[in-house]
Amino acid sequence: MKHLILAAGLLASAAAVAALPPGPPPGPPPPYQMRGEAPAGDRLKPGGDGKVLFQVHCGYCHLLGGMGTNLLTKQRIMAGDTPDKGLLANRTDLTADYVHSVVRMGKGAMPVQTKVDVTDAELDAIAKYLGKAS
Amino acid sequence: MKLHLPPRVSPKTFDAMLTAAAGVVGKDWVMATDADRDAYSDTYAPGDAEEWPAGAAIAPANVEEVRAIVRLANEHKTPLWPVSRGKNLGYGNAAPRLAGSIVLDLGRMNKVLELDHKLAYCVVEPGVGFFDLYEQIQREKAPLWLSVPGNAWGSVLGNALEHGIGDTSYGLHARNLCGIEAVLPDGDLVRTGMGAMTGNPAWHLFPMSYGPTFDLAFSQSNLGIVTKAGLWLQPAPETSLELVWDIPAVDDIGWVIDTIAPLKISGLIDQNVFIPSWLGKMVLKGQRKDFWDKPGAIPDARVDELLKQYGLGYWQVALRFYGDEGVVKAKAEVVKAAMARNLATPPAEHWWHPGDYIHGIETTMGIPSAVPLQMSDWIGGRGAHMGFSPVVPATGKHVLDQMHRSRKIIADFDVDFYASFTIGGRFANNVNMLMYDRDNAEEVLKMRRLFDTLIGETAKAGYAEYRTHLGWMDPVMDTFDFNDHALRRFGEKVKNALDPAGIVAPGKQGIWPAAYAANRGGKA
Repeated sequence: MKHLILAAGLLASAAAVAALPPGPPPGPPPPYQMRGEAPAGDRLKPGGDGKVLFQVHCGYCHLLGGMGTNLLTKQRIMAGDTPDKGLLANRTDLTADYVHSVVRMGKGAMPVQTKVDVTDAELDAIAKYLGKAS
Repeated sequence: MKLHLPPRVSPKTFDAMLTAAAGVVGKDWVMATDADRDAYSDTYAPGDAEEWPAGAAIAPANVEEVRAIVRLANEHKTPLWPVSRGKNLGYGNAAPRLAGSIVLDLGRMNKVLELDHKLAYCVVEPGVGFFDLYEQIQREKAPLWLSVPGNAWGSVLGNALEHGIGDTSYGLHARNLCGIEAVLPDGDLVRTGMGAMTGNPAWHLFPMSYGPTFDLAFSQSNLGIVTKAGLWLQPAPETSLELVWDIPAVDDIGWVIDTIAPLKISGLIDQNVFIPSWLGKMVLKGQRKDFWDKPGAIPDARVDELLKQYGLGYWQVALRFYGDEGVVKAKAEVVKAAMARNLATPPAEHWWHPGDYIHGIETTMGIPSAVPLQMSDWIGGRGAHMGFSPVVPATGKHVLDQMHRSRKIIADFDVDFYASFTIGGRFANNVNMLMYDRDNAEEVLKMRRLFDTLIGETAKAGYAEYRTHLGWMDPVMDTFDFNDHALRRFGEKVKNALDPAGIVAPGKQGIWPAAYAANRGGKA
């Protein structure tokens, strides 16, 4: 379980806030390894649930324990923020436009997402959900 | 990214192809803006992503749409570059070998069609990622484990078809494929193995066809487009035990291989044993500048300090057993006794029993994660990596010979040495990870020269790579020189017979159809 310990180390400060189990207790997978199911239906149709779509399409990096959360937690702490802000869903300073641009242009270690990864309609809903400063 | 057209295709014909394709898949699934082309470029390109530009992308929803697009591509002579999910990171992502090719993105075909709890296999479409399959297994509480790569964003089938390797008993992923459905370059549809008989229930169970067996002819291949396949999965074991040894010195890798490989070949060890050098552990601890803030390779003296400070060996062997507790204990004793002949320190032992927490970053237990990709942050900037990956016989002599040569070359280029050996049986797979900042032109140029040198010098010593980035597909194919490159000549005879217009993935792995023979080379 050395890898788990390593991960716990990376998340040490985030864990206090966001409560990743510190050791190896029994339990379900962390959120990033157990996203909800994708909503059925036409992916091109606007008006989807941004929270659900965020979990499905961004969750394997940006839910608790994911690579994006790990990297952002470090960045936010360095920027003087609290570690819980490593989770995009906890950010209050993101705008919908900014979310659009990072998803379609990429940023740092994050590659550009194609319209198959996340459609424009899905991205609109996700950007609305994350863009609390819009 | 601006539009690059495929050879001999006019803008009018290209537009006509896209319009016709929109009639098949719907206009929203034909993606041809500059931003779309960027999205299908090589995110980790060693240099300008415009070296391998896609002309557009088309995303079909099912096999009939794939067949229709292939027929249209034949009609318009527009080459296609099929990708499962397009996450072949470090090897080119979704980007095509031939400029202007249309990426055929199969990401929408993402159904888990079967998950057989008893016979331990699944049938999946190309768009199913490792996370998707893992979650489906959890939802069904199926007693099955995956074998995963470092980046679980990617496609289960795509990874197996590209000869991806994991660190479990099922780690040779291409070997787990059983029964393939593929669209041929003329739009015909074929099923291999027992699936060649309509409705045969043994399709994904018996690994051969009646007559020639073509399954792996569709891997690292441009002979067809795989639209679904069976994949064997590991039954969840009763228990598991991990033994971890820190191996002190760089040359100790020789006796480690000579100790472990015979036990792997005899069947006592089931797992593909992954042995990374120390840097593989450090990349998860922070950024390079936290440990060494000067350009050029980290000097040996500083490496020694870091190993001491963090309690690391030069290498780490983390060996895992799976199965009945009594059997696992007995096997572990054999391996511990064998390792003790060269290393007095006993291994750390980590038992796992059902119900214990499992969901870490544990690739040896088939847990999907993208966390190993955090290494892209090691250098900083728009971090990127390429892997130089030769295969050598699993003996200490061959492994030391390979390691000394590549280590010297990498040191001569003043680059950090980060290697791993995976013992997959009779061979050891050596990945030399080269990490760099994409925006540092000088560094990128150095990496490319380094890569050229590694391929050339390694081939001179008689070893070859098993997989490579787009930019080196031709140079690596060139190294397979027996009988005037008979393997390539054979591949191209078959290619030309099946795909006279050369429209499926021209140039893939250095196999060029006659229609695009002039595009061979273009060395990175």
